[in-house]
Formats: sequence, C-alpha cells, structure tokens
Amino acid sequence: MRLHASLEEKSFDGFIESVPAYSSLTVYFNEDVSIKKVETTLLEYYNEFIASSTNNSNPIESVKHIIPVCYDAEFGLDLEEVATTCKLSIQEVIAMHTSIAFRVYMIGFVPGFAYMGTLPISLETKRKNNPRLTVPEGSVAIAGLQTGIYPATIPGGWNILGKTPVKMLDKSKDPCSFLQAGDIVQFKSITKNEFESYL
Amino acid sequence: MSITIIKPGVSCSIQDLGRWGYQQFGVPIGGAMDRISATTANRICGNDDHESVLECTLHGLEMKCNETLSFALTGGGARATINGVEIAYNRLIKVVAGSILKLHPDPHGCRSYIAIAGGLNIEKELGSASTYASSQLGGYKGRNLEAGDELVLNKSTVETDLSKDIIINEDGFGISKWKAQVTLLPHFLDVVEITCERGPEWDLFDEASQEQFFNQIFTIAPQSNRMGYRLDGATLFLKEKIELVSTPVTRGIIQVTNEGHPIILMADAQTIGGYPRIARITSGDLSKLAQCRPGMKLKFSL
Repeated sequence: MRLHASLEEKSFDGFIESVPAYSSLTVYFNEDVSIKKVETTLLEYYNEFIASSTNNSNPIESVKHIIPVCYDAEFGLDLEEVATTCKLSIQEVIAMHTSIAFRVYMIGFVPGFAYMGTLPISLETKRKNNPRLTVPEGSVAIAGLQTGIYPATIPGGWNILGKTPVKMLDKSKDPCSFLQAGDIVQFKSITKNEFESYL
Repeated sequence: MSITIIKPGVSCSIQDLGRWGYQQFGVPIGGAMDRISATTANRICGNDDHESVLECTLHGLEMKCNETLSFALTGGGARATINGVEIAYNRLIKVVAGSILKLHPDPHGCRSYIAIAGGLNIEKELGSASTYASSQLGGYKGRNLEAGDELVLNKSTVETDLSKDIIINEDGFGISKWKAQVTLLPHFLDVVEITCERGPEWDLFDEASQEQFFNQIFTIAPQSNRMGYRLDGATLFLKEKIELVSTPVTRGIIQVTNEGHPIILMADAQTIGGYPRIARITSGDLSKLAQCRPGMKLKFSL
C-alpha cells in the first residue's frame, strides 16, 4: 500500500497506474520504458519506505468509515441460512459483523467492489452453489473470511446479510469508488426506518 | 452533423484506447479490442489516436450518414457497401449526405472500426469514451448502440488535406487512391498462431498440461466476448489443487478455471482474478487475437 501511495505521489517516466491487491502490487507502464529501469525505480521506492518505516516516521493514516447496514430480513436474504450453518442466532451474526473493524484489501471484481476482511472463523461460509442472477445494489455480503458490498445490481454468489444505503460507486466523483484499498470499515446496524430516511 | 444507426448488427459500441488510471477502483481498461485497427482508422482520417471510433463485431451494421462526411473503415469481420456498392477497407472515404454504409458477412477477421474525420462528439467518463456496458460507463448512454441512435459529430472536417482530392462518383461516394498498410486478417478456417510468455503460475501446472498447452489446438468457444475468450480443447490442471490469493489481472493473461478451461482475458477484463495464470499473450498479438471469432482455432507458441 505504501509503494502504491509513493507511486501515486511521485510517478516515474512512463508510469501509467498501479493496482494493489491482497499480497501484490501490479505496476502498468509504457512499452517504451525498459523493464530494468522500472525495476530499479521500484526498488529505490521500496528501500526508501523500508528505511522510513524502521524509523517509524510517517505511518500511513487509514481512512475510517462507519457504514450503516440494515440487517432486516427483507434485505438480509441469506441471514437466516448463515445463522443456521454457523450455528449462531441471527442477533449473534449481526453482532459479530458489526463488532469488527475490517480492512479494505483491494477493490476489484466489478468497479467499486471492496474486498474486506477478516471475519472470525465462526462466521466462515462457502459461496452459494448457484450464484444469484441478481444481487441488489448495496447488498452487504460474506464469503469465506471476507465481506464485501455490491456496488451495483449484478450476479453474485456471496451470502447476503443486509443492505447499505451508501453508494459505493459514483462516476461523477473523484475518486469514483467510495472505498479504497487500505481503508478501515466498521458496519453499524440500522433499522428499516433509518434505512429509508437515508435515501 | 450526425450519423444514425439503422441496425447495430451483431454488436456495435463506441470505443477509444481505453480508460487508464482507474483499475485500483475496479474499473477495467476496456477500449478497442483491436487497438491497431482502431488507431489506423483514426490516422487515415487525420484524427488523434484517442478519438472515439465505432467497433462493430462481424456484420449486420447499417449506418446512415446524415451529412456529407469522410470516414475510414479498418479491421475486418465483414464486407462493406456504400449505397449498395462494395468499398475497400483501410482507405479514406468521402460520402454525400444520406449515404448508407452496410456491413455484410465475410470469413476474414472479426471486428471492423469506423472513424469519422473530425471525430464523434462523445462525452468522456472517467477519462475515456469507451463503452463499458456492465457499469453503464462511457459511450452512448453507457450502452451498446441500438437501432435509431443518432450520434452527433464534432464540427465538420470533410474537406481536409487528406480528403480534398477525393472525387465523389455517381453512387454518392469517393475513395482515396492511397491506403494504409495493414497485416492480413485471419480466415475463419485458419489455425492462428499466437505467441505468449509463460505466466506466473506456469510451474504449478502438471507436466501433461504444460505440454498440451503448446501442442494442442484450442477453439474459441461461443460464449466469448469483449471480457474474455473461453477456449475449448485440452483441459489443464495444477499439480495439486490450491486456492490462490487474488491478484490484479489484465488483457492478454490466460487463466485456467477450476474445471481446467483456459480463458484469455480481453479488453473488458476484470481488474482482479483468482485463477492460476498459465501464460500471457505478447502485446503485439492482442490485435490479431481480437480479429479471431468464436469457432476459430488457436495454437500457442513461445
């Protein structure tokens, strides 16, 4: 994340963009730049931040978000099934999901979809065997030890716990994605009335 | 100044050279599948390389030019007529108002590109006019073109240095004497050789799969699209089943599903993927691949 941040701040000649993921950073650059030169530059940046992090000087500030989620049965299409599989009550599932400060590991799959983790093992679930053809926009879902928010109405196989009124993708905004890799997210349970008053 | 889509044909959308800088937010690069043909079309017209063009898959397009204008048609997948008379690709063409361009079936290539001299007046979204329909981004109303759509053109640039010597014939059009040099398009029945490099997970595949990858012939499956080409043929497997951590992926990467089917990621590829990456197509062959249609056969080489 720090290498990504330094590249965004001061890019090298021919740099196009960089994309962070769980345990990797992919750097896109023009074909006319030699790969050797890119390697040297990246290594320089890497050594710089290793040096600065040992001094513990400028740690990256994570942006923190509290995202309201309505866990009403109308939206939490798989809430009951998840509770049954995990041998928990619905209240316990909601309590667990709202008690953790999740980290956004990466944005991908579709524009604005944030992969967040990590869920406790007691809330681990498999993806649905038959993915839904349409998952409503704003659905907050879990799969494996990850949680995510669907930024648009699309097909999807994650287990849906609730729905947020917060828009995850807005192409008129800069950045267009509400969440970014490295952000911290905590969910907050809201009632259906509160959900409706958000809209 | 405008053109009207009478019929979009198999598929027609507005594209440019892609949406760069937004992959970290999950937004694919997108843009023209065959960048060489898209760029050639713009250069024939004297346009900037990044100008929007129409990308037409195979045949069926019918387009009416509502004013006198100049345009270029490149790529393939079709045979073209103006007002019923066949015209050549890769030349600058001047037509009178009311002329109709049609694309007819042809066994070579897969995608035609139409650039209009002066350019289409399309608003960019996230830095690009490329249509990414699944997120309603770019292009005309964020979707592929439909019958009746009217596309507004930038100010008239019919009489450019490039087009001023073109003489309009009795059929209402004229063609430049010069043409752009282009590479030959693959024929529908060809076995197309595609060069690639071994991918990051190459070593995880078992020996039989590694050998088959370079020795077997794969067929582009019918469900292939701008996002990816699914390949039928040998099934490829890892030495041992492991779940990989998702990493960024991009155009040209060949990933292999859990069932062993390779998928070549194309222009609208998702930004993140979790399948093992067996190989990566060299960037020079991406345009050639974009001119290969479902049913065509591919052979990979190093």
